[in-house]
Amino acid sequence: MTTPARTQSIDDSVPRDRNELSVGEDLDFQRRWWRFEHAVWIVFTVIVALDVAGVFGRGPVAKVHKSTPDGAMNLTYEQFQRFQTPSIISIHFGPNAVRDGKLQLWVSQSVITKAGNQRIIPEPASSELKDQGLLYTWPSGQHPDSADFAVEPASPGIYYFSVRLPALGDEFTERVVVWP
Amino acid sequence: MYTVIHAIVGYFFLLLTVRVLVRRPGAQLTPFEFVIIFLIGGVIILATVGNDHSETNCTVAIITIGLTHRLVSIMRSRYPRLSAWIDGIPLILLRDGQWQLEQMEGLRVDRDDVIAAAREKGLTSVREVEYAVVERNGSISIVPRR
Repeated sequence: MTTPARTQSIDDSVPRDRNELSVGEDLDFQRRWWRFEHAVWIVFTVIVALDVAGVFGRGPVAKVHKSTPDGAMNLTYEQFQRFQTPSIISIHFGPNAVRDGKLQLWVSQSVITKAGNQRIIPEPASSELKDQGLLYTWPSGQHPDSADFAVEPASPGIYYFSVRLPALGDEFTERVVVWP
Repeated sequence: MYTVIHAIVGYFFLLLTVRVLVRRPGAQLTPFEFVIIFLIGGVIILATVGNDHSETNCTVAIITIGLTHRLVSIMRSRYPRLSAWIDGIPLILLRDGQWQLEQMEGLRVDRDDVIAAAREKGLTSVREVEYAVVERNGSISIVPRR
């Protein structure tokens, strides 16, 4: 025995216009929608304005420059970065950053794990694990004016990173927001 | 995991953007609107699959979008109010010789669109139209005067 097909009797549930046309127009709902639509466009406009300003990275607000009082270290980075998108943490060294003929820079582990460091330009001669971070050394005669960390954040969220000149004790600890 | 999240977010963002942008999907799309839809779709694809162009990732993205779409379809048929938010509601543009200006301005439909729909119905003048209604799919239905 076959199962009968499911059916339902017609009932005119759609509201009629002037008791004639079944159309179901709801002008109150439509006005609410237009207000919502208007709010969405305002939000979209604000998003574009914030993006141009750099709040989502790659703009003037995103760039941060910091210097130590003695000028031994100048840090430039983007405080707003994007998930899996390349960015540069750049450190410029003053002449007094060099001690005993070598330049040493300590960076926190988060530069590797959170910021997703891909490479360092120029490559340091050596690196060693130290104080929950990495200590990079450029030997005498090869020490650069600057070191660029090419990073690519591995996950969205907020992370902190630190850079330090061990010889002088100069240190920056910075916060970075990574947008999805 | 990110692919699934990006696909779901991308789906709803595209739904919202298209809903607030245009109300003339399918056959009613003009070339101007085609450009917008394809451009937005292409950009969202980039964010959805990211740097991982593997077949696995793309398959997961497609399945996620398919499941999300199915879920939305089920919810839409179960809750008519949700359907109104997603698809919109029919609106009367012309009623008994009177242009409904609030609806026309809100939908950015001009009189030529209504007159064109009347011609498609074989009517020679807009005076022969009793009702002109913008349907949920964006097409304009014409009910001639009796």
